Amino acid sequence: MLKDITFGQYYPGNSLLHRTDPRIKLLILVEYLVFVLIASTELAMAATLLFTAFIIAVSGVRFGILIKSVKPLIFVLIFTAVMNLFFTVGEGEPLVAWKFIKIYENGIRNAVLMLLRLLSLVLGTSVIISFTTSPLELTDAIESLLSPLKRIKVPVHEFAMMMSIALRFIPTLIEETNKIVSAQKARCADFESGNILKRIKALIPILIPLFVSAVRRAEELADAMECRCYHGGEGRTKLNVRKTSAGDIVFLVAVTVFAVSVFFLDTVSWSEVTEFCRGIFSK
Amino acid sequence: MSYALELKNVSVIYGKDTPFETVALNDISTGFEQGKITGMIGHTGSGKSTLAALLNGLNKPTSGEILLFGESIWAKPKEMKKIRSRVGLVFQYPEYQLFDETVEADIAFGPKNIGLDEEEIKSRVRLAAEFCGLSEKELKKSPFELSGGQKRRAAIAGVLAMRPEILVLDEPAAGLDPKGKEEILSGLTEYKNTYGATLIIISHSMEDIAKYADSILVMKDGSVYMQGGVEEIFMQAERLFDAKLDLPQITKLFIELKKRGITQSTDVYTVGYAKKEIEKIINRA
Amino acid sequence: MSFIEARGVEFSYSPEEEKVINGIDLKIEKGSYVAILGHNGCGKSTLAKLLCGIIMPSEGQILVDGLDTADETKSFDIRKKCGMVFQNPDNQLVASIVEEDVAFAPENLGLPREEIRKRVDLALQTVDMTSYSKHATYKLSGGQKQRIAIAGILAMSPECIIFDEATAMLDPTGRKEIVAAMKKLNREIGITVVTITHYMNEAVEADRIIVMNKGEIIADGTPSEIFSQVERLKSVSLAVPQVTELMYLLEQDGHKLPRGVLHAMDAADVLEAFIGGVDK
Repeated sequence: MLKDITFGQYYPGNSLLHRTDPRIKLLILVEYLVFVLIASTELAMAATLLFTAFIIAVSGVRFGILIKSVKPLIFVLIFTAVMNLFFTVGEGEPLVAWKFIKIYENGIRNAVLMLLRLLSLVLGTSVIISFTTSPLELTDAIESLLSPLKRIKVPVHEFAMMMSIALRFIPTLIEETNKIVSAQKARCADFESGNILKRIKALIPILIPLFVSAVRRAEELADAMECRCYHGGEGRTKLNVRKTSAGDIVFLVAVTVFAVSVFFLDTVSWSEVTEFCRGIFSK
Repeated sequence: MSYALELKNVSVIYGKDTPFETVALNDISTGFEQGKITGMIGHTGSGKSTLAALLNGLNKPTSGEILLFGESIWAKPKEMKKIRSRVGLVFQYPEYQLFDETVEADIAFGPKNIGLDEEEIKSRVRLAAEFCGLSEKELKKSPFELSGGQKRRAAIAGVLAMRPEILVLDEPAAGLDPKGKEEILSGLTEYKNTYGATLIIISHSMEDIAKYADSILVMKDGSVYMQGGVEEIFMQAERLFDAKLDLPQITKLFIELKKRGITQSTDVYTVGYAKKEIEKIINRA
Repeated sequence: MSFIEARGVEFSYSPEEEKVINGIDLKIEKGSYVAILGHNGCGKSTLAKLLCGIIMPSEGQILVDGLDTADETKSFDIRKKCGMVFQNPDNQLVASIVEEDVAFAPENLGLPREEIRKRVDLALQTVDMTSYSKHATYKLSGGQKQRIAIAGILAMSPECIIFDEATAMLDPTGRKEIVAAMKKLNREIGITVVTITHYMNEAVEADRIIVMNKGEIIADGTPSEIFSQVERLKSVSLAVPQVTELMYLLEQDGHKLPRGVLHAMDAADVLEAFIGGVDK
């Protein structure tokens, strides 16, 4: 179960997104998040969906893997949609009115919009960052983007190093947790019955060994890092220095232009568009 | 023949009916005789550990039945605790499971979970500690103060204290030095003899299997590849090499001696027996 | 001059505690292949940490290529010369992707990019893991992880590598891979290899074996010299290879057989000659 969460799961590949400078990808992600969140008209949403589809297509990530990453969130998606459906109070007559439930046209619209928005957020973030950027690339990118902060003595390198080590150890610790749970179950431990207090108490035989082992791992890792001449970020070089290519810049500019257009599209409503089209045809 | 533990057409398939389908265990039928030690060998990924986790109901097979003294362990899923206390399972590097304040309390964890009374728990903890060679002084210590070998013994004692009729151990001596290994394996043999328990020991060490096991189960690619008495299995060197397994060094020596026409025996796998065989040859000459 | 030299080294983790290392004098020559053998808790891992300067001796002195490990200004140079591979493969890999992990040390050394690339490629080639360079580290087998750890040290271009029970957590296949790698490093590249182990069949591969007990060196010699002292090894809870024990037992019974036979093939030769001799 725990292993299905796609957090920090990188799928090696050589797609356009894999080749894009992670720093550029982070900036693209920020723009993407902004226009997904502001898109509130049909047109803007359609444009957003088109962009999401494009991004998925150029990521080279298999569709099955994407579906798997959305699966754990299905409940949240449906819940949000349903909330919007029932609790949006629209103008005019409700479409359905049964006892206390009233569904307005606006409610359906909001529910669909919210569903698409959340879906885009999850899929877009996964393909722009999680699936196509190795954890180390990502932390390097963050370190590089935040490097101006070094001047005001923010330990940017140390922060990035901690993050990359944490990401590296997630699968190891998940495996370890499963092992400990199995071992305690084999000693007839019961994690499934009893009230909350009892269940929390039942976690002690898992948490203590996990903690002890994490401390031991940390100590050993520290020794191993020292043996490999680690001495902080000073004077450190990198194997993979991402140079921002002309293509990266073009990509970023294109997305920026797109984001601005979405912003403008958002001020145009569907009726205005049909009005406009009718105008053209009647001429 | 009646078995203490029997597997009938047991298969484990992960991701069934998806493109990721992998067969971890393929139609396994075998049995473990009461009061005997079976050595389970096989290269990494042959399915030994998957099989071990089925025997006490930790995982459920995709199909097939596991019978404990003739009764399916999945007959009453609500009584799984009882099954787990009857079929003890010691994982690889079990020392990571230690958590309690004292070694004594830690060993008592299993018996407490089954719901035994104080007196009974106390006596079981003492006995289990004895089989594993832990002294009274060590019982009072924190498990985290023990040496590596002692931690291993404390963890094994934690399972022995449930007094299982069947005991499955995954590499109980991995990483220990020869003395530590000897102590643990002979302690387990003593436990088996005292309670007439059935032992299944997974090991990579052919020398240990030769020394302690009564019979051998060889796993390969998720299936039972060979099964039989120690002698019967070690005689078939070529087949073992095919399963990416090795032989005890002394057996290799005798295979070589046979090739050179010096001996006829191929059932030699312990040093003591080897010495007798060589002396026979010398005396004949 | 020897590459590593220990002079009257003593060590305890705190002044009140018993000494873990109790007066060790030791010289390890450049280019040699040394196994340090001893039961669990005999102090061999502590000695390994002392030899590459992770911990400092409480008494005495350790010189690595002439540099004192107690001199903190030299610690960086010592680490560059003498790397260490640890027991648990999971706890020494820093990065999630193979080549990024191997690059860790040369990155710390501040080498130029092209040089790092060259070293990473060469190191991966040496341990035969080139095709895995873009793989995720956590999905590898134990033996493969350990080979990556070796590559990570190799990329520093050290003169000596200390293996601290590097095979203890591996299956037989993984163990063979690592022993083969040690041999290759020593015989083909000329790296000084020190391996800490309690596996006899690994110690047999070395040129020299040092046996430790209770923080002291109790024997030092070639594998056949060491393994001919069967009783002595047993007295410090160590075992000998099965054929060695067989030869020893037969010799004890008055048969004129050589001691210190280590391999099955050699034993077959010896026995064939002996029995042939008795025949006549």
